[in-house]
Amino acid sequence: MKKLLYVLSLLIIGSMVLAACGGTAPTEAPAPETEAPVETEAPAETAAPSSDKIQIRWFVGLGTGTDPAQLPAQEKAVADFNASQDEIELVLEVVPYDSARDTLATQIASGAGPDIIGPVGVGGSNAFYGQYLDLTPYIESTGFDTSVYEPALIEFYQTEEGQVGLPFLVFPAAVYYVPAMFDEAGLEYPPANYGDKYTLDGEEVDWNWDTLIQVAKLLTVDVNGLNATEDGFDATQMVQVGYANQWQTHVAYQASYVNGGADIVEGDAPGSYTSAMPDAWKEANKMVYDGMWGEQPFMATGPLAGAPEFGNGNLFNSGKAAMAITPLWYTCCLDAFRDAGFEFNAGTLPLGADGQPHGRVDADTIRIWKGTKNPEAAFKALSYLIGPEGTQTLVIGTDDVPAAYSGLPADPAYQQPYIDGLLERYPFTTAETWDTFKAGLAYPDSPSAEQWQPNWNESWARQQTFFDLLQNTPPDQLDFDAEWQKLVDDLNAIYAK
Amino acid sequence: MFEQFSNFRNSLPSLKSFRNMSPLARRELKQGLWFLSPWIFGFLVFVLLPILASLFFTFINLKITDGIASTPKWVGLDNYQYLWNDNQAGVNPSTWFKGGTPGALWVTLAFGLIALPVGIFLPLGVAVLMNHKHLKGAMFFRSLFYMPYIVPFVAAVFLWGGMLNSQTGWINRFLVEILGMSKNNVPLWANSGAEEWGWIYATYVLMGIWGIGNAMLIMLAGLQGVPTELYDAAKVDGANGWQTFWKVTFPMISPVIFYNLTLSIVGLFQYFLVPIVVNQGTGRPGGFTMFYNLYVYRNFFLFQNMSYGATLAWVLFMLILAVTILLFWSAKYWVYYAGESHS
Repeated sequence: MKKLLYVLSLLIIGSMVLAACGGTAPTEAPAPETEAPVETEAPAETAAPSSDKIQIRWFVGLGTGTDPAQLPAQEKAVADFNASQDEIELVLEVVPYDSARDTLATQIASGAGPDIIGPVGVGGSNAFYGQYLDLTPYIESTGFDTSVYEPALIEFYQTEEGQVGLPFLVFPAAVYYVPAMFDEAGLEYPPANYGDKYTLDGEEVDWNWDTLIQVAKLLTVDVNGLNATEDGFDATQMVQVGYANQWQTHVAYQASYVNGGADIVEGDAPGSYTSAMPDAWKEANKMVYDGMWGEQPFMATGPLAGAPEFGNGNLFNSGKAAMAITPLWYTCCLDAFRDAGFEFNAGTLPLGADGQPHGRVDADTIRIWKGTKNPEAAFKALSYLIGPEGTQTLVIGTDDVPAAYSGLPADPAYQQPYIDGLLERYPFTTAETWDTFKAGLAYPDSPSAEQWQPNWNESWARQQTFFDLLQNTPPDQLDFDAEWQKLVDDLNAIYAK
Repeated sequence: MFEQFSNFRNSLPSLKSFRNMSPLARRELKQGLWFLSPWIFGFLVFVLLPILASLFFTFINLKITDGIASTPKWVGLDNYQYLWNDNQAGVNPSTWFKGGTPGALWVTLAFGLIALPVGIFLPLGVAVLMNHKHLKGAMFFRSLFYMPYIVPFVAAVFLWGGMLNSQTGWINRFLVEILGMSKNNVPLWANSGAEEWGWIYATYVLMGIWGIGNAMLIMLAGLQGVPTELYDAAKVDGANGWQTFWKVTFPMISPVIFYNLTLSIVGLFQYFLVPIVVNQGTGRPGGFTMFYNLYVYRNFFLFQNMSYGATLAWVLFMLILAVTILLFWSAKYWVYYAGESHS
């Protein structure tokens, strides 16, 4: 008995310790990405090389592109490109989203990185800041036509290392709203055109954050049918909220929408970096916190947003939120909403304290790894994928293969076909709905909310932890000012590592 | 324990004994090794080599996202020194609560003080009930208590998360609507603030109770292995139920308790799943759910700081080893092995 127990204990302890030190760990909840992570993971796919052609490896997994439904279009783009080539062979490598960062980091660290990487958003790219090739010489040598793009979008990808990307997909933001809920509350819809006024209680007012919050309170309803401004409103039993920060749950996102982008890091060299988040960002987050936990709430707290009745985090899709501000990529995830008979429309982003609308423009593109041994061939493949043929296959779709990605093509020639697809997918929307989104391109967050910070993974995670704290901690258990100061102190420590 | 290792070493065939083997025995040994070779190869390449690599990482400054941008350098014991002063890791007790963060090791130990007694004595108590001669439908109850163990723990944690949701969970609704508690007084469970961290650990323990079926079954097997003549003798001596339990049952099943305790302590140091699912692995509130193993994971995989993550993992290994050795040493004072003499 004793021997058996000893042997059993030692064997199990040994295996547990080995697992702790050398085994794989369960997956972490993914950091917010430009494109929402897909629910289904595809197995890693690697097409076998078939000839002596120059092989260009295309790594997909940091953002969109890993859903099995997205594979056929990506495979078709690869096949079409390969059919047009006698010197280059494009090889598709799809890695599940949850393990893509680790896989890519390992490949890069071992010197076996892929040639091209993407689609990937700004945040996903920051995790590999400094790893992307300056495309300038290749743009010049091949005569790649950049004039089709908005100059601002070209500038979007310029860093101190050069032109490290080219525009491909953009995701302007807007206010998604449910017209039926506005009708029920007797409220006017959010304006569809920037500059238009809003009528509230018979008066014309600016469509700014104060107005949005007031409207949101009127649209926040408890189990007794009272709205958040009425006496007797029960905040513990809300059945509908006025506003949702749909998957924009991060310090930087909320601050960018309310107060606009800001350089949040001071210093120009390792050792000199300090946090420079403006006070306006603190106030913006305080405003959101009050929206969740204040006397007249208009947003869902963390526990409420995470409840099954409220969509397990996909709040607007649950039909329990009257408004949500989030980028265009959220159209990915509204099928259940549509199928349940709900309809949405789009309104303009509210004005900030400075009288200007502040939005966010997310952007996905495909990049070239700095360590590629075949930059010319990689650029040729990249040009194809983000160019007309690739855009047609990957974003618009063909008769036999549906599109892989949902995003507004940066090339204006392909924007209308993409919008036509959205009109078909959401038949209750109109051309005006999508024009409102397109108008949001004029209000990007500059610098991006996902801008680079020293030790990006850790600093981004620390900010996310702060917002998570706001969502989940009631005021009697949270000292907002002290927590904000702690965030700043921690960021300074992380930047100094 | 050292005696066991010594016995194990003596039982290994020496080179001399290999030479003295018969041709048949030698051939059988070779065939056995041949059949074992895939496992040995797998162990060497996929387990031992990564372990040794991770040990090497602790002496360099490998941050995998740096990639080609920088070459890792030999830093000696810098990572260990940094860990010693890292108040978030909390390996050095003098750093606990510096900067308002309890420290991951403190969190792990504090939770252990609550979770370990529950994890040991509750299965024991249930097993005693299951073993009671007057219990009707014992098989049914045993199955009932064991069944939750079959449910994947992560699914169970999600279910518990829903039930204990501070705003929509039915447990709080029951407290308010049936028991009439004030909405302001109901516990926030895992959403409690830093000042009420005890509620968070209570929530985690509650979720853990769901999976006591396996420990209960092992305890039950131990209880059923106690010779009935010992109970008869105790009865003849006039022992009451409590005395019988402490003087007969407990010593006789102490090896089983020791086994469960060892596994529970190792499991405690590796506690990960519940905080990452329930509190998103952020350590919210104020670092009170940043368990040591979670901190290892974040550094290794989220921050991709391989060297520091490996250092944390190796220190975790040392801690588990130290506690396990201590536990095995203590066994001679409280674990009773029937039929074995003590020198």
